Amino acid sequence: MIKMQRGLRTAFVAMALAGTAFAPVSALAAGKLTVSSPQDPGSWDPIDTFLVNWASVATNIFDGLTYRGPDLKLVPGLATSWEVLDDGMRIRFKLREGVKFHNGEAFDAEAVKFTFDRLLGAEGAKGPQQSNYNSIGSVDIIDANTVEFKMKVADPVILTKLAGYGGMIVPPKYITEKGDAYFNAHPVGTGAFKFVSYEPKVNIVLAANADYFGGAPKISDLEYKFIAEPATAVAELQAGRVDLVIPPTIPIGMIPTIQGNAKLAVVTSPGPTVYALRFNTRDGITKDPKVRQALIMGVDRDAIIKSILGGQAQPIASFQGPLSFGFDKTMKPLPYDPAKAQALLKEAGVAPGAALQIDLRGNEATFIEVAQAISAYLQTIGITATIKPYETNVLLNDIIPNGKTGAMFQQSWGGWTLDYDNTAVAMYKTKEKWNPYDSDPKMDELLAKQRTITNVAEREKVLQEIARYAADRALEMPLYNLNAIFGINKRVKNFTPVPDSRLKFTDVTVD
Amino acid sequence: MAAFLVKRLLQAVFVVIAVTLTVAFAIRLTGDPALMLTQGAGSVTEADLVKIREGLGLNEPFLVQYFNFLKGIVTLDFGKSFLGGTPVSLLIGKALPATLSLAFTSLIVSIVISIPLGIKAATARGKWADQMIRILSLVGLSFPNFWLATMLVLLFAIALPLLPPSGMDGFASFILPAVTMGIILTATNVRLVRTTMLETLRSQYIMVARAKGLSENVVLYKHALRNCAIPLITFFGLQFGGLLGGIVVVERVFNWPGLGTLAFDAVGARDYPVLQAVITVLSLMIIGINLLVDIAYGLVDPRIRTE
Repeated sequence: MIKMQRGLRTAFVAMALAGTAFAPVSALAAGKLTVSSPQDPGSWDPIDTFLVNWASVATNIFDGLTYRGPDLKLVPGLATSWEVLDDGMRIRFKLREGVKFHNGEAFDAEAVKFTFDRLLGAEGAKGPQQSNYNSIGSVDIIDANTVEFKMKVADPVILTKLAGYGGMIVPPKYITEKGDAYFNAHPVGTGAFKFVSYEPKVNIVLAANADYFGGAPKISDLEYKFIAEPATAVAELQAGRVDLVIPPTIPIGMIPTIQGNAKLAVVTSPGPTVYALRFNTRDGITKDPKVRQALIMGVDRDAIIKSILGGQAQPIASFQGPLSFGFDKTMKPLPYDPAKAQALLKEAGVAPGAALQIDLRGNEATFIEVAQAISAYLQTIGITATIKPYETNVLLNDIIPNGKTGAMFQQSWGGWTLDYDNTAVAMYKTKEKWNPYDSDPKMDELLAKQRTITNVAEREKVLQEIARYAADRALEMPLYNLNAIFGINKRVKNFTPVPDSRLKFTDVTVD
Repeated sequence: MAAFLVKRLLQAVFVVIAVTLTVAFAIRLTGDPALMLTQGAGSVTEADLVKIREGLGLNEPFLVQYFNFLKGIVTLDFGKSFLGGTPVSLLIGKALPATLSLAFTSLIVSIVISIPLGIKAATARGKWADQMIRILSLVGLSFPNFWLATMLVLLFAIALPLLPPSGMDGFASFILPAVTMGIILTATNVRLVRTTMLETLRSQYIMVARAKGLSENVVLYKHALRNCAIPLITFFGLQFGGLLGGIVVVERVFNWPGLGTLAFDAVGARDYPVLQAVITVLSLMIIGINLLVDIAYGLVDPRIRTE
């Protein structure tokens, strides 16, 4: 029946366009998955980029020593086991045997050493990845299947970092022979899919690696098309030419369009990105913690999430989501209480009608709506807020780092490691780029302390203490953790949405 | 002719320098590519950024960077993209044909529609056909191109799944973007054809042609249209330049792998080498087209040819 319909449609097209047009090419060849990704990272070399949409492709091509799947549990990858020695100053990895790179080259201790020498050496210095792995001093080969990492400083997040990005193991012989530029455009790893072709700004095509150590993927072909414009990506999904649209693409406003189509569905997972309006704690009325608390209590975030975000977010109490290491589910945000807020403002001597400015990224339509709602809530407690949109790069690279913001400014933040360490250090440590206003010795001490702790439970406690302390000082108005939104064709089965964009399509099947 | 070409060439050099200098200077005011590359990379120190900038060649003074870029134009080596290090000439080499073919198809679409309609409007001046054509052209002129593009996609790619909604993949994929651009161009072109035609039809040689008993079609298409050609060619030629500017939005909506998409992405990523190269290529093209328009005069007008 389907065949007949397609036949009829083809005939109709042929008639309608008098043989000048074509029959719609369907991407529905057996076992092929077509994905729309919003950005071409330009290079597939793990040390060259830090874009999430590199990872949503490359997690299929490369493996790290460790692996972290959609459940965010750290499991063996190319290393089968590891031992943390000397309080985290040495880590010894036992490597998986019999694994080969896609070009036939064997994976062994040599490849691990080569990978990290390259990342930490001159080649890596030119890219953005090196800084994330600076805690590693050197990698020593113990035998063909054992390596030891010697750390410069103990890094509690290093095992997670080895599961992604710069920690991906690359083939030494291939890179030495073909050169770096060739490797950028013709990646070779040990992963579940092999590289087939790449056309910059258009697509990258992969094929199943039948010899994958984790078991061969269930689909045979995998193509990513690079489509930046959300409406275009959704049109391709509706037209059946794309099976899956991955974040960050689909805006909240387009969810009903997808849900209205019987063949399509929206699937979500809590995302890595949290939103907050941070305060200028140095000048103006927000210098006073009471005022900051009042502003937080004056805004009904649950209503905003329900009405503007279509329920696709969870309110947060500190600047992290429930998936983050350091999250404390017993911590409750300040309640929405406009009466109390007004009382606090009065106590702080802020006259009704006091003005403040909210700076935000001008290209995020949804967040602008959120800010408008916030400004309306603030109006009801007697604060006149004006919204100032900036070009995103200007806001991120000039206004915030140089402390030129209004009383409040937008910060959206999400690190793929989903460890509160990354966020807390960047936001609260004295003189960090993202912390232009605040300097707090107690906070600095807590931040430094957690980095030296290798005991997981103990470190979690310190991170939770940091979150509480930041909330007590009301350093920001925590808003919400936005979902990662995927648009999917229902012919795709067994797809698990991932929170960190690191998609791996080994279990997915297509009808 | 030779003197004319030399003069034009000198002008071109001046224009390219002025344009690229402005772009190179302006984009450097808007943010640091090293920061863009490390966005989301937790702990980046100033020392890391210095190393990345060095790798990108941004440690050199502005004028040195700019001079290297000019040298690149001459040797046709535009350097490497900051985003991933793809050679810029490779990116341009793929995007340029995509943009040119789309711009050219759009222009053809527009000419094919606007000439018969314009002539019809001129001959039926004041009658209902003329009024209708003028109203339609006003409507066409008022469409924002991204809106028209989206409507066409909804209609012909989703509601009636006849054409691909995006991408460049065979003849069919040209239809929607070329029609989008074509319709918007047609709106102005129809009016131009109509006005020029009206003037021409008033001339005495048209009266003579009619008096000879030539058929109306021969009068219109052979005698009148030929004499309209000069203003029309000028206009279509200049329009081709404007079209290259307007194509950015349409390319984005249709995910067309052309210069517009390339420039759009490059601005977002602060990818200086790519942006500078795209602007250079576009300005060279516009200069080139203007030159071709001048040469084309000679071809259609024997009076200019003999001078």
